[in-house]
Order: sequence, then structure tokens, then C-alpha cells
Amino acid sequence: MRKYVLGVGAALCALVVGASALLAAEDKVVHVYNWSDYIDDTILKEFEAETGIKVVYDTFDSNDTLETKLLTGNTGYDVVVPSGSFLARQITAGVFRELDRAKLTNYGNMDPAIMARVAIWDEGNKHAVPYMWGTTGIAYNVKKIKERMPDAPVDSFRMVFDPEVIAKFKDCGVYLMDEVDDMHQIVLNYLGEDGNSQNAETLKKVVPVLKAVRPFVTKFHNSAQIEALANGDICLTMGWSGDMLQAKNRAIEAKNGVDIAFSIPREGTLMFFDMLAIPADAPHPDNAHAFIDYLMRPEVIAKASNYIFYANGNAAATKLVDPAIVNDPSVYPPPDVMKKLFVVTPYDAKLQRVATRQFSSIRGGE
Amino acid sequence: MTFGAATREATRARWAARASLILKPLQSALDAFPPSRWLMRRLDRRALKGRLLAIAPPYAWLLIFFLAPFAIVLKISFAEPDVAMPPYTEVFALIEDAGSFFLSIKLNFSNYLLLIEDDLYLRAYLNSLKIAAISTALALMVGFPIAYAMARAPRRWRGALVMMMILPFWTSFLIRVYAWIGILKNEGLLNGFLQWLGVIGEPLTILNTDFAVYIGIVYSYLPFMVLPLYAALERMDESLLEAASDLGCRPVKAFWVITVPLAAPGIIAGSFLVFIPVVGEVVIPDLLGGSDTLMIGRLLWAEFFSNHDWPVASAVAMILLLILVIPIVLFQRHQAARQEAAR
Amino acid sequence: MASGPTTRRTFEPWDDPKSKPILRVSSVSKSYGSVTAVDQLSLDIHRGEFFALLGPSGCGKTTLLRMLAGFERPDTGRIELDGVDMTAVPPYRRPVNMMFQSYALFPHMSVEGNIAFGLKQEGLPAREIKTRVAEALALVQLPDYGRRKPHQLSGGQRQRVALARSLVKRPKMLLLDEPLAALDRKLREETQFELMTIQEQVGITFVIVTHDQDEAMTMASRIAVMDRGRIAQVAPPTEIYEQPNSRYVADFIGSVNLFEGNYVGGDGAPTMRCAEAGCDLSLAQPLLVAPGHRLWVAIRPEKLEISREPPPPGTLNCLSGVVWDIGYLGDFSTYRVKLDSGKIVSAAEANRMRLTERTISWEDRVYLRWVPQAAVALLS
Ligand SMILES: Nc1ncnc2c1ncn2[C@@H]1O[C@H](COP(=O)(O)OP(=O)(O)OP(=O)(O)O)[C@@H](O)[C@H]1O
Ligand SMILES: [Mg+2]
Repeated sequence: MRKYVLGVGAALCALVVGASALLAAEDKVVHVYNWSDYIDDTILKEFEAETGIKVVYDTFDSNDTLETKLLTGNTGYDVVVPSGSFLARQITAGVFRELDRAKLTNYGNMDPAIMARVAIWDEGNKHAVPYMWGTTGIAYNVKKIKERMPDAPVDSFRMVFDPEVIAKFKDCGVYLMDEVDDMHQIVLNYLGEDGNSQNAETLKKVVPVLKAVRPFVTKFHNSAQIEALANGDICLTMGWSGDMLQAKNRAIEAKNGVDIAFSIPREGTLMFFDMLAIPADAPHPDNAHAFIDYLMRPEVIAKASNYIFYANGNAAATKLVDPAIVNDPSVYPPPDVMKKLFVVTPYDAKLQRVATRQFSSIRGGE
Repeated sequence: MTFGAATREATRARWAARASLILKPLQSALDAFPPSRWLMRRLDRRALKGRLLAIAPPYAWLLIFFLAPFAIVLKISFAEPDVAMPPYTEVFALIEDAGSFFLSIKLNFSNYLLLIEDDLYLRAYLNSLKIAAISTALALMVGFPIAYAMARAPRRWRGALVMMMILPFWTSFLIRVYAWIGILKNEGLLNGFLQWLGVIGEPLTILNTDFAVYIGIVYSYLPFMVLPLYAALERMDESLLEAASDLGCRPVKAFWVITVPLAAPGIIAGSFLVFIPVVGEVVIPDLLGGSDTLMIGRLLWAEFFSNHDWPVASAVAMILLLILVIPIVLFQRHQAARQEAAR
Repeated sequence: MASGPTTRRTFEPWDDPKSKPILRVSSVSKSYGSVTAVDQLSLDIHRGEFFALLGPSGCGKTTLLRMLAGFERPDTGRIELDGVDMTAVPPYRRPVNMMFQSYALFPHMSVEGNIAFGLKQEGLPAREIKTRVAEALALVQLPDYGRRKPHQLSGGQRQRVALARSLVKRPKMLLLDEPLAALDRKLREETQFELMTIQEQVGITFVIVTHDQDEAMTMASRIAVMDRGRIAQVAPPTEIYEQPNSRYVADFIGSVNLFEGNYVGGDGAPTMRCAEAGCDLSLAQPLLVAPGHRLWVAIRPEKLEISREPPPPGTLNCLSGVVWDIGYLGDFSTYRVKLDSGKIVSAAEANRMRLTERTISWEDRVYLRWVPQAAVALLS
């Protein structure tokens, strides 16, 4: 029965796909699924004006959401933006189609050093090109931190992982990230271990650190900190570099007296790359290529960076990016800091379970 | 924009959890399960044709929207996770061996074993039940006076009052929950008001606590409690209370021995309508609760989204279903007995 | 129709100045907004009475009863029960029980539970409750129905359970608001007699509200006829029927022919001049009013004698007219006669003979006569 239904379903799908293929080379539309607060809307408008391809734009705020959709299949998206280690696993699962370099005329603009880094997830850079990259660091409300601890180690993860330090900020609100993998890797690196450790025993070392600070944490979240920090509802948080700088700008625009700073901790931290890729079942692969190619134009990607305060992987664009951003060490870190940044490979299923379990029991305050 | 994204994520979470919790139909499904042959024998042949037509649509609905998804989730709960699309192994496979075909069925019980071995799940189930029970009790305490007042209001107002109860449902659930964040946070309206009154000096920490979760749940589910209660109370003949009073019963006692027993069907229905969805609630604890508000819906979310372990997520959902089906079946029995008595 | 059982005849405490009324209602008023439901009403009811409140819809019967039970508080006036002021006492403390028109049985309790409810509120020991419930069930002839739920009973059975429930507490007074309205005619008549028997057995004072004058006439020791929140007349049924004190009462109870006219004095044979009748009507007694005073003569149809033979000349109270309509009621026939003045008069005659032998027919000229004692002179 079910087979029959599936058969009919498949036939119908084939029919629809076939029919739409016949109707036109491709509808003039591209479905993009990107992170929230991650693009300058005018870029989309200009792309539409230039190519006549309409952009249908949708956003997510966690790799998990994206991955679950991708693994379910038939997302209808043409361009998606997973982070590096997730990309690796998704490639294994057969989620993506290989990019057609012939259609990516701007490919040569990409920074070879960056391309080499991301190749650990995508061998030969076959499936994806980097959109932006950033770091997970610490953002804080300058005034409130100073009031509570004038000599606060604001350039160190001790701010959030040292119980004696974080305890001082409990009353004004502290958020940590709600990403299982990132939290493990960052804490391990903070402890001087290999951040990319794939060993279950090593992962356990994370537990006492987070447990000790758990009582002082208001919430674990990935996106709520932008608003909360900008409004002054919290005074200290972990966060992704660009997001935290957006929070800072929002506070400035709101003129609410909230002064926010972001720092890349000196212990080093996780570096993430958000990669543009095309799902294997994308309905409009040609438009997807056109969109990705458009984003590889130096002036376009520079505009994106100027808007969202993230570094891009486009060598030709660097000179076009606002000097204030290029010279901001928290966006384009200097070489010595760069050395301390690390990337990771995904956990396998077993290790993933260990990590998730550990993290949920920490989050649950057991 | 973050707001929008979080909204969408939360909505998705809600639906993911809800999809596995289509509970009400299950109970009817169980009732209906000793299926048509039994019916055939009982129904007269001629009567059957007409009846079959009448009962076919609900059964078809059940089959398509409940039994089929249920079977799929059940199947996935016996699979193994895999890095693939979809991310689990097939349970059924057709194997060819020397020209003969065999159906191979591979059932993996380790997902269920995991739920037993790791006490996290048991605690999450229990805590969810506890939160649901407390929320239900609170909703009943808040809802009863409201329903009572509505049922005793002048008849011409009642329609408007019911409308007011339903009206908030016309705006997005999430926006209403977000509004509570604005009210409950440390610099929020409530604390501001209390400080202005001088009741408190320091702001109270309400947001990100279980207390906030209860507020959110009671607020969101109140209509589900009030409407059945209202229906039961409105039906009640007011002269019964006068009769009780006439027979020497004080009003307070009359409330307990007359009003409450007569509102019992409403109380039971309202409690189920609140209890069952709250057990699987994800969004409210996520937005209003602290990170230590351990609930099964959240765990299910984590299995699904963080571990990408659909089989374990399915197993969690199956057990949740079982836990909830028991009281529903009991309720159904009770209801059937009442109807029998009423005839 | 006109009188109760013979045992009642001697029971007339209202005429005994030494008898203290069990219920004394003194100038009680109750308004709802602009509607005055009960207006300066005073009433005495005596122990053991079967008292009926009769009146058209909306005249305030239920309101009065609810004030007696304590569900409504009078705006003014005072209600005294057995010498104790009850005006401000809540219903649950009054030694009065009410039987509701809708019966108001508790649907979630068995028949026994319903009947025991009032006793439990008194905190009686379980054993006593049991015997009293059994007694009450026996009294209303439902001894085997204790375990049923109200919805498993017929209308008449429910009514009896409601009665048992309100009687079992042995109240000083039982209030019944149209207790029989929901029953069909035959059952209603049976139940009327049952109610009377029960009332005699338990000796409790009954106050019953009814729309149905036959019911009131059958059961009551006295009837109060109400008119727009006031009492028009209180009297035993016979008196209400035979001696109404106003056109309102005369018209309300049974049917009546009313003639309007002016008093003509005269010592031995007082009369009334009446244009409608076309002649002077003689009165049984002289009245204490000046000649020319306006008055009415009321005469019941069955008291008219109808005949085709012209009476001997000089006969008093003789009208003539043409048969306009004949109504056959089985036991009675009513003739509607159009007088020469155009006024229609009803006359009833028992059908002592078979219909075919009837002598009076349509369009016949007939003569109506009555003895002066059969008519009542009314001043209002
Ligand atoms: N709760 C109330 N609110 C407003 N007006 C009322 C209320 N109860 C009674 N009335 C009015 O008071 C008057 C007397 O009503 P009541 O019910 O006593 O009449 P009744 O004699 O019992 O009539 P029926 O024979 O129709 O039962 C009516 O005009 C009625 O409309
Ligand atoms: Mg009435």
C-alpha cells in the first residue's frame, strides 16, 4: 500500500519536475535559505534588478534546523548556507550537488588561503564556497561590567568559564551559546586540550567547567542575545562576532546609552565558515549558480560585510570593505590572533550523542 | 529579523513536537481497531451500506492523518541513525537470493533501551507530567471563576464574553508569548510597576524561571479550560442552587456538592485539553523558562535537531504517546459509562 | 367543583380571632426596576391550611412565593413565620421548603440522595436519615425507586420525588410553585387528590401557586386571587365563587354574565336599572349606597334558567333574546343568547336529556330567568 502510494507520489513528482523543466529552461526565481540578520537587503534587490531572477529569502538561526531540513529532503531551496563542520557531514549524506565552476565566473576572486582552510570539510572545494566567516567570542555591556568588576578579564574566556568571575555578573544576566559542538570545542580549547578532540573521555572534561558556572547562566541561546544585549537586558554573553557587533550598532542607533564591546578571547576560539552550497534536489540550480556568482563579486560581498560586520573569504574584496571593519581586530584578526583560531570536524553519531547528553544535563542544571 | 527567525524556528519546533502527539485520534483509533470484520458481523447487511458511507470519512481521516504517520514514526523508532537522506536505516528491505525474494525486517531495540538506561529521559517525562499537572491545576483555579462569571453573566453579554476569550487566538501565539517576555523581564512592565508601587525594591527575577513557564502556559491554554467549563456551567439550572439553599445548604457548600459535580464533565474535558498538549510543550519553556526547565518536548527537539537521531526521537515520541494514551483511554471509558448511564 | 371534602367544612381558623396565623405578611412590596411585582401586599395564613395563590400570568405569584422562601428580599414590609421575623433570614435558615416548578432535582444524585440532601444538611444520624427517606418514599408511593437517578423517572414520578424531598424536612410551611403544571390533565387530577391526602397526613401548611382555577377550587381551603401585585380577595373557594367582591374576581373565576346599571333604592325590593338588560334587575338585598350609584350584577351561566315559553307577565329578572350559538360540552350545553340590546349572555344547562331531544335551537326566541339570590351585586 505504502509502496503504491510512494510510487504514485514519485511519479507525480517526476511529472511536475519534468513538466516544469519543459515549460521553461528555469523559472526566474531562486530560493535562498540563509542565517537570520545575515545580508543587506539591497543586495537582493540589486540582484533581482540585474538578472530578473526573483529572490525568495528565508532564514534560520541554527545549523541544526538547516540540517534537519536538508536531511529530510525536498526543501525546495536552491542556495543554503551551512557552517563548515555541518557541511562536511551533509556532503557525506549526499545532500549537495557539485558546483559547476564554469558558471562561477568570479571564482578567481576567492582567497586561496581561506579556500585551503575550508577544504578540510569539502575536499577539493567541490561543493561550496565560503560566504562569511567569524569567531565565537565574548560580548559585554561595558558600563555594567566595569561597575561590577573594574579589572574584569574582558579579553579572556575566564569571563564566562571562571566561576569566580562570572558570579559577579549573575545579577545583570549572562547568556551562553546553545550549540552542543561549539561549546565543547571552545571549552576544551580553553582548558588547553585539543578543541577538535574526537575522544569521548576528553569530552568529559568539559562537564565540570560548565557545571561550575551553570548557576550563573541566565540562558543558553544562539540568537536572542542580539536583542537582549542591545536592550541592556543582559550584560555578558558568548556570541558570534558579527552578531555581537550588530548588537553594538543597534544599541548605538537606539541611543539607549548601552555601550557594547566584543572581544576574541586570548585563549583562542572556534572559527566558523558559513558556506554557500546547492542542494542536490534544488529546483533552480542555474539561478543558484548565478546567485552565488553574484555574491563572489568583490563589490557585492564587500557591501555585505559592511552591513553585517563579518569577514568574507574574497581576497579581491578586502580593499573595498570599510576600513573600520577591516581594521577591527575582532572581525579581521591580526596574524597572532589568527594563529590561535581553530576549526573542527564533525563528531560521529556516537560522540555526538555523548556531547548532546552532557550538554543537556549541564543546561538542565543537574 | 532575529525575531522573525526565532519565531519560525519555534513554530517549527512546535509542529515537530506536535506532529508526534496527535493524541486524540489515537484513542479513537484504538477503539476502532478491532476493525471492520467485527463491525460487519454486528451490522445488518442492508443497514451496513448506509452506515459504511457515514463512517467512512472519519475513518479515512484517521487512517491518513493519524495511523499512517503513527506507523511511520513507529517504524523509524526501530531504525538506526545513519548519515544519509533521510538520516536513518531502512527497517524493511527486499532481498534477492538466487531468484527468490525475501522481506528482511531489521528491528533495532536499542533506541528504547537507551530511554530506559539513561535516567535523563525518565526525569524529563516525569517533570513534563509534573509541569503539565501543576499547569492544569492552575488553569483550573484561574479558569473556573472566569467560566462561572461568564455563565452567570446576563445572557446578552455571554456571546461577547466568549468572543473575548477566543479573541487572543486570532493573533500569533508566539507574539503573545514574546509579549510576556516584555512583561516579565527584570526591566519589564511588571517589575517596573511593582517598583513604582514601592512593593519591591529590587526587581524580581521571574523570566527564565519555572514560574514564568507556568504563567505562559496558563495564559496560553486558559481558553481550552474556560470554554468547556463554561459550556458545562451554562447548562446548569440555577434553580438547583436555590433548591440546595432551600434545603438548608449554605452557598459555599452548595458550590462543592452541586456546582462542582455538575461541572465535572467540563472540568475533565478542560483538564485534558490543557494537560495533554502541555506535556509536549516546547515553545513556552524555551522562551520563558530557564535552561533548566527539563521537559520531554525539549529533549525530543534535541534528539531530532542536535543529535540528528531520528530513531531515538521517534522512540521518545512513541513512549510519550503511550504515557498519554492511558489516561485518555480511562477517560473514554468513564465517558462511555456516563453516556450509558444517561440513556 | 365548588367545595372541598366534607372534613374541611369545620376547619375555618381564619374566622377564629384566637387563632394565631403561622404566616403573616405585612405590606410587602417588591419591584424589579420599574415593574412592581408585589405591591403593599398583606396576608395571613393559618396552620394546616391549604392555601392557593391564584391570578393571571405576571401578577406576582412567584415573586411572593420566592419572598416567602427567602430567594428574594422584599423592598418594604415584613414576613413573619410562627411569630419570628423572617424578612432578612437567608433561605437555608428558614423552616420553609419549596417545591420548584421545574422540580430542580439534583441530576447527579439518586432519588434517595435527593431526598436525604436536606436531612444531611441538618446533620442527622445516618440511621435516622435512612428511615425518614424510606418514609418519604412510601408517602409518595415510590418505595422501590430510591436508587434511580432523576433522568430515569417519568414526569409524574419526578414530581413526587420533588414533593418527598421538600416534605422530608418537615418544614413549617411548604411552598409549591405550579407543582402540577407539567402533568397531563388526568395525572394532574389524580395528583391533586394525592396532594390533599398527603397534606392531611403530614399536617403541614401548604401554599400553592397555580394558574388553574379548577385546581385551586379543588384543593384549597382558601384562595387568594391576585391582581397586579395586590390581593383582590381572600376567601374559601365557595365564597370566592359565590360571593366575589369585584368584577375582577367574578370574571376571573369561572364565567359570568355582568350587567352594568344604576342603583334604584326601594326598601323591600331593591333593583338596578339596566339599559343592557332592557329592564330593571332585582337585587337580593338593599345596598348601602345612594340611589343612582353605579353598580354591576354578576350572574353565573348555570344559574340562568332558559326557556322558550314566555314567562308570566310581571316576572322579575326576565330577559329575552335570540339563540345565537350553542356549545355542547357533554355534561353541559351553553347557550349564547343575543339580547334585544345586542348584549350576549351565556346560559348553561345540564344535559339531562339526550341531545336529539333538545328543544331549543338556533334562532329560537328564548327567555332567561333567575331568582334574585342567584345574582351578586358588585360595586367595583
Ligand atoms: N427577576 C426579575 N427581573 C425583572 N422582572 C421580574 C423578575 N421576576 C419577575 N419579574 C416581573 O415581575 C412581575 C411578576 O412576576 P412573577 O414571576 O411573580 O409572576 P407570576 O404571577 O408568577 O406569573 P406566572 O403565572 O406567569 O408564573 C412580572 O411582570 C415579571 O415580569
Ligand atoms: Mg410564576
